[in-house]
Amino acid sequence: MTSVKIRFEHVRKEFVLRGEGGGPGRHFIALEDITLDVRSGEFLALVGPSGCGKSTLLDLLGGLTLPTSGRILLDGRPIAGPGRDRAIVFQQYALFPWRTAAENVEFGLDIAGLKAKQRLDIARHFLDLVGLSGFADRYPHELSGGMKQRVAIARSLAYDPEVLLMDEPFAALDAQTRETLQGELLRIWRATGKTIVFITHGIDEAIVLGQRVAVMTSRPGRIKQIIDIPDVLRSEADDVRSLPEFGRVRHEVWSLLRDEVLKAQQGQLAAGAGARADRKVEEVTHV
Amino acid sequence: MSSLDMLTLLEVAHERREPLTSVESPASPVVDRIRAAARGLAAFGHRSLLLIALLAAWEVAPRLGLIDPVFLPPFSEVIAAGWQLAQTGELYDDVSASLLRAMSGFLISVAFIVPFGVAVGWYARLGDLVNQLIEICRNTAPLALLPAFILLLGIGELSKITMVIYSCAWPLLLNTIAAVKQVDPLLIKSAQTMGATRQQLFRKVIVPAALPTIFVGIRLASASAMLVLVASEMVGAKAGLGYLIINSQYSFLIPQMYFGILGITVIGLAFNAILEALERRFMRWKAPVTA
Repeated sequence: MTSVKIRFEHVRKEFVLRGEGGGPGRHFIALEDITLDVRSGEFLALVGPSGCGKSTLLDLLGGLTLPTSGRILLDGRPIAGPGRDRAIVFQQYALFPWRTAAENVEFGLDIAGLKAKQRLDIARHFLDLVGLSGFADRYPHELSGGMKQRVAIARSLAYDPEVLLMDEPFAALDAQTRETLQGELLRIWRATGKTIVFITHGIDEAIVLGQRVAVMTSRPGRIKQIIDIPDVLRSEADDVRSLPEFGRVRHEVWSLLRDEVLKAQQGQLAAGAGARADRKVEEVTHV
Repeated sequence: MSSLDMLTLLEVAHERREPLTSVESPASPVVDRIRAAARGLAAFGHRSLLLIALLAAWEVAPRLGLIDPVFLPPFSEVIAAGWQLAQTGELYDDVSASLLRAMSGFLISVAFIVPFGVAVGWYARLGDLVNQLIEICRNTAPLALLPAFILLLGIGELSKITMVIYSCAWPLLLNTIAAVKQVDPLLIKSAQTMGATRQQLFRKVIVPAALPTIFVGIRLASASAMLVLVASEMVGAKAGLGYLIINSQYSFLIPQMYFGILGITVIGLAFNAILEALERRFMRWKAPVTA
């Protein structure tokens, strides 16, 4: 349990924004000096203000983009591209609408070239695991948001990746469904022993799910602090949200985040004012 | 489990409703069937009310002398003229000539243009290369090219089928390119993270995701095919519904002319019905629009 699964070493990610009207591009630093270890089998929650580069971090882990500098090691080897050892669960489900629930779960297995019979058996097993046994033949448009996300989770588990990357997977769901799915996810995590990196902007969600909660700063995204969640809050039986300890940890994370949220808002206001000023200049020149 | 429970509950409630109602009304099956038939007829009547009124007006107006019956013969006379045409075998020749041209041109166009459009949408470089040419060609009305096609390809089948292919090509091409370009990037991203190769991505994500928009192009192309075919048959042909229409007009066989027009309508409707059935067959996964 103590071996390092994922290691970020001084990771920095920079984007070149396209300049307006074809002007020279502006550099935008999304992530700066991210150094972080994720242990094997750990459930790590990443929480940060919107626009702090959480999703960029996940894209890097998924191998969809490469860091500008620094490196990310998975089992000691640098990540060079997407791989079947990692799975991503997206906020918008990203189910294939032309495939039934079972066929969606089969997608990764289909890609790997498994036989239809095997695929179906595995798909049924994982649909059972997420509580959707009777819904194998439904198309995504016939499922509720919570059920779609269950299918997406089953799909990412089906090809047996070692790491599950989750990008605000429950953000689009109603509060009740979200809580149910949080419980289910913890159950699945305990049952499968996957390493999970879970991105969220919800403090409660981060504390309920994560063994550790990493708080990120706003632009550029850095790891501000990592908070260990005490064992009392990891109980399966209790309603952990009602424990006094929960309130204490929540306040700790909240205080860390508050400054960042304020900073992010100020940044946005400044940017907005800048854009308005630009427009004014433009108007003047056009007149 | 809240959403799940809700759903099953709803389903149970839904299924329960049917047996309950049938128990409540213990009418004999015959009465039920008559009622159902009456309801079906009423629904059909409601939807077709305007059509029936129009046909009635067509029948009555010339008979009452509201319109000169020489220029607009009553509907029944048009049908009678059609019956005569059918008996002499002339109708069969015209319809089969038109169908052959329309179908072959349309199918050739679909067979070549859809794959080409997919390639243009998929390979950005190819798109850059051909975009300008596409823009110029699609803004050249096909009918404007008809004289040129006749000069180059003669007045036989070749020029007519080429016209159909050409007119089908643009709606097909533009819709197919757009279809491929509009595939949700998230689906592509999702497939990539599951290890899809470029070829798998293409086969298992791009093509199925693009299919509905490609079908829009196919339906537009079929309408365009009929339009252009009729026009080109009017200019120079020895058979075909377009020829029937224009030749009847020249020979002052006005009922035949109207029957030719109706023939075009029926073929257009049949084309559309076939395409709709195909679309339903291949796109069962789509959410019904009226849901």
